Amino acid sequence: MSTSTAGAGNAALVAVPTGTRSSRALKASGNSLFNFFAGLVILFALWWLAIYVATLTPGTQWAAFGPVPAFKAMVKMWQSGLIPKALWTSGYRLAAGLGIAIVIGVPVGILIGRSKRFRELSNSPFQLMRMISPLSWEPIAVIVFAGWDQAIIFLIAIASVWPVMFSTAAGLSKVDPAWFKVARNLGAKPWHVVTRIILPAITFDVLTGIRLAVGVAWVVLVPAEFLGVTSGLGYSIEDARESLEYDHLMAMILVIGAVGYVLDTSLTMLIKRFSWNRG
Amino acid sequence: MTNAAAAGATGSQTSRAAEAAARGVVNFAVGLAILAAFWWLGGYFIAANPKTQSFAGFGLIPTLQAFPELWQLGKLQKAIVASGYRLGSGLLIAIAIGVPIGILMGRSKRFRELSNSSFQFLRMISPLSWMPIAVFVFAAWDHSIMFLIAIASVWPVMFSTAAGLAKVDPAWFKVARNLGATPVQMLTRIILPAISFDIVTGIRLALGIAWVVLVPAELLGVTSGLGYAIKDARETLSYDHLTAMVLTIGVIGYLLDTCCALLIKRFSWHRGDA
Repeated sequence: MSTSTAGAGNAALVAVPTGTRSSRALKASGNSLFNFFAGLVILFALWWLAIYVATLTPGTQWAAFGPVPAFKAMVKMWQSGLIPKALWTSGYRLAAGLGIAIVIGVPVGILIGRSKRFRELSNSPFQLMRMISPLSWEPIAVIVFAGWDQAIIFLIAIASVWPVMFSTAAGLSKVDPAWFKVARNLGAKPWHVVTRIILPAITFDVLTGIRLAVGVAWVVLVPAEFLGVTSGLGYSIEDARESLEYDHLMAMILVIGAVGYVLDTSLTMLIKRFSWNRG
Repeated sequence: MTNAAAAGATGSQTSRAAEAAARGVVNFAVGLAILAAFWWLGGYFIAANPKTQSFAGFGLIPTLQAFPELWQLGKLQKAIVASGYRLGSGLLIAIAIGVPIGILMGRSKRFRELSNSSFQFLRMISPLSWMPIAVFVFAAWDHSIMFLIAIASVWPVMFSTAAGLAKVDPAWFKVARNLGATPVQMLTRIILPAISFDIVTGIRLALGIAWVVLVPAELLGVTSGLGYAIKDARETLSYDHLTAMVLTIGVIGYLLDTCCALLIKRFSWHRGDA
């Protein structure tokens, strides 16, 4: 029940919440669910409208770009196994590249955080290498690695390692130095320091770095798959373009957006899970 | 003079600052020298092995020797100017669209709630997926590349601007309204100065993404630019030119990012100082 004050004309100056806490929480999640779908409905409506207006001009082939052909093509491509195969192949390359980036990035990030000398000397080369646009490595990767799969995994790894590395280092710099002193006082071996102090403290930052890494990897994955492979999300885009099947193209774009959204949202939830209010 | 437990600073403040700056320069140079040493070592082994000798152009010395060559041929300058033009135009479009929409997101709860899912979905579409559509829509390749850069860069600008607006003290808007501020004055006197720091942070992020997108966007259909130069060097098997262009890309990217970082420091203001 609302706690309305007595007295005529005494308008509440402060917004008083109505209902119970659980009913308000339910309403809030209902609201956000509504907004989620309403937002997407508006997007697709605008898309449909844009294509409709474009098709009013005679002699243009805009019809194939519309939402209805795209959804039809998506169903067709899913049933023919094209989309699952593309997701599997791209997913494998993405996971392998990210895995390598984490295996290299986290230890080097911890090293940057723990050793001032290493941090000072490695900063300029790392900053330079970080700003080399990842796809510039493609010709070199293709020469060095025997298979195209490995070249793509290399490109994803070299693009993703920097966010993981720097986020890990930043996380380490946030750790209270007193903790290390206490641990040393209590006789902790280096291994204990890593597993009991460092890793739990920086999990939040490492996950944030992984989220950024997925973002960059997602940008790099598609163009990396334009050449030399016969399956994957980027390959499907290129294939649809060459065969002028624009409904397939729009369907793949929807799939790429949806998968990217799911990846990013999963990581955001993981980050919230590991976030802890310091102090 | 007591050598206390606390580290006592020696010398004056200016001499300590000069020492710190000199240390920074030394670290910068030594760091790059170590990288160059590793590179030279790799190149040495490539050239020494008869199986990989044809790839000797990847080494440090041939790459450095390629720079005067590329400069004289004019290839370096042309590539930088062409890419810079596309990058600059794409980023300007992203800022011109992203900042107003970001402000709208910050000011209107209804707009923010309804647009969030669509923006989050569109943002996660890998930018190069738009390439075939861009090529179909725009007559000139230059314009499709600018479109790709714009569509990749608009999201960081937009969300950083919105985040900046969320940090502005709401009391300021009430005070401004009380003092009779028109919407335009609200924008120019309150909003823009308050969010400059966040906008420039968003631009730095946008630049990072644009830099990733630029090179693959220039691999098809154009005859100028950094991405094209790499493809051209690979096709003519000029590996020294290739690595020289890769190094150029790294250096330019580093300079652009450092400029943004300096701008951010310039616009950063300690909230709560008198």
